[in-house]
Amino acid sequence: MSEVSLKHIKKIYPYTEPKKKGEAARPTNLKITDEGVVAVEDFNLDIADREFVVLVGPSGCGKSTTLRMVAGLEEISGGELYIDGRLVNDVAPKDRDIAMVFQSYALYPHMTVRENMAFPLKLKKVDQATINAKVNEAAEILGITEYLERKPKNLSGGQRQRVAIGRAIVREPKVLLMDEPLSNLDAKLRNQMRAEIIKLRQRINTTFIYVTHDQTEAMTLGDRIVIMKDGVVQQIGTPQEVFDHPANLFVSGFIGVPQMNYFNARLVKKGEGSYEVELDGKTVSVSPDKQARLAANGVESQDITLGVRPEHVALFGEESGMFHGTVEVSEMMGSSVHLHLSSLGQNVIVIVQTMDLQGQHKEGFKIGQEVAYTFGGNVIHMFSKEDERNLELPR
Amino acid sequence: MNSSLSAENRRKNILSAVLAVICVIYVLPVVAVVINSFKLNTYVKTNTFDLPRGEMWAGFSNFIKGMTFGNYPFMKSVLYSVVITIISTALILLFTSMAAWYIARVDSKICRAVYYLCVFSMVVPFQMVMFTLSKTADKLRLNTPWTIPIVYLGFGAGLAIFMFVGFVKSIPLEIEEAAQIDGCGPLRTYFSVVFPMLRPTMISVGILEIMWVWNDYLLPVLVLDINEYRTLPIHIQYLKGSYGTVDLGATMALILLSIIPVIIFYLSCQKYIIKGVAAGAVKG
Repeated sequence: MSEVSLKHIKKIYPYTEPKKKGEAARPTNLKITDEGVVAVEDFNLDIADREFVVLVGPSGCGKSTTLRMVAGLEEISGGELYIDGRLVNDVAPKDRDIAMVFQSYALYPHMTVRENMAFPLKLKKVDQATINAKVNEAAEILGITEYLERKPKNLSGGQRQRVAIGRAIVREPKVLLMDEPLSNLDAKLRNQMRAEIIKLRQRINTTFIYVTHDQTEAMTLGDRIVIMKDGVVQQIGTPQEVFDHPANLFVSGFIGVPQMNYFNARLVKKGEGSYEVELDGKTVSVSPDKQARLAANGVESQDITLGVRPEHVALFGEESGMFHGTVEVSEMMGSSVHLHLSSLGQNVIVIVQTMDLQGQHKEGFKIGQEVAYTFGGNVIHMFSKEDERNLELPR
Repeated sequence: MNSSLSAENRRKNILSAVLAVICVIYVLPVVAVVINSFKLNTYVKTNTFDLPRGEMWAGFSNFIKGMTFGNYPFMKSVLYSVVITIISTALILLFTSMAAWYIARVDSKICRAVYYLCVFSMVVPFQMVMFTLSKTADKLRLNTPWTIPIVYLGFGAGLAIFMFVGFVKSIPLEIEEAAQIDGCGPLRTYFSVVFPMLRPTMISVGILEIMWVWNDYLLPVLVLDINEYRTLPIHIQYLKGSYGTVDLGATMALILLSIIPVIIFYLSCQKYIIKGVAAGAVKG
């Protein structure tokens, strides 16, 4: 059992005035109150035993600060943090039974890999035979047995990160914290290590809290994702939930690559529980389930931001419902083509699977070529112009 | 193109020649000490830069004379020098590295003030404080070889803290945080993690402090009771006779003996000095 519970967690840093007179204050999107700069605001999350939770968001959103508060490396300004039902706000990091993997590996350079991995056990005064057994077992899981007698400086980035993970797992911590562990690796190694973390997760019984700014990592690793912006949680949900039902405009843009397309449109309420969207003089019908959700929220006619994911845009459909655009950039990705269209006075991205290319598009796309596209009422996302929230989700 | 290359070469040659001359000037006093320590006293003044050949050759008689001169045992002064040097350097390394770690890691006004005080102490000449210091040292009983290292700790702290702070700042904070999570308290973090990483700077600071304390004359002569405690430089000074007569051959021999340990130590640790001085200069 290792549940983690964050209740109304808050982090406030003292506000520092510009050092020189006349110098502008450092630009920040964070809220500044009388108490100081609010780096994390009212963070609430219950993490179940053995769950893998990913905190994701752009730089400066407070995800690492939250993780460091769980680790005990940052003081908690407000709220309560429970690990296994025990309030640990004022408990030292070493007494929280957690382990952490850092972005910069943070290996002890003067120790060999074996000594690095054995260090936390040695501090716990575990007997040497057990230490050896545990280190050997972790090394085997991570495939670093042959490097055990080397110093960290003689290892590659990927190997170092494995050692860092090894040092964390030998302790069999209640919670394993990972702060952007793959950010220092190249793209290929990152994919490989990502897969290894998924495998590792199945082999060890622990709760994971993982911080990343990479939405792909978040989507592939997490049981649940916490999306943060400017110190505020935007949405908590499974990868599929946040992809299918983003809580607001920010989440919709942050999750999914390439980013969602946005259009200025109008949501029209035709009658009780009946809605349609008007875009560029054309009508986009809204699917019945979406209409039901809008009705349940009591949404009235209003101007909206209409969002459509590039992979949900189709190049084939009834002519009356088609929008027109000009190809500006065509990116051949192998299995698909990313088309950047100039349409309705903005940039629209369309992903076309190469296997689906047929008819007039069989030969591919040329710059300047006219293309017609459409999208169904079941894949659209409607965001309020007023507060950018998804109109389908309850307030 | 060719002319610019040859001009460049000429410039380099001239520079090499100038630097060679400077090197010779620098080495000359050391060479003079070495050759004169094997020369009979009468020839030291007249044939200073001649090699000790023929009738000038004194063999090791200067060394024996220097070591047995007067009624103060030579080995006693060597022992005091060794004790003072080792204790002072150990104290400086231990305490200043700890202080530097704290100063580098804790961002507070007090830490900054202490740091600037230490840096400032490097530019205060010793002569400015020496008389008040000798009285204070007497009062506080810091006038023995076992307690004078505390005075050295004070004087050596400036440079040492300055060098250690620079290096500690180049150590990623995450390593210490990892130690904290692994179960280390502050002391354990320092001794198990920070201290071993400071090794290159420790060695370079150590060498600088050893050379300074070993060769220092003024501080021990002012603070110590010189009838009872003489360090090597003081002992050498006592080779001077009561009417100003000096046995230069014996003096040179003792100077040579006294610099040999430092030279050996310096040469064996030379590579760490460069490492230590350059550490933290660039982001690694």
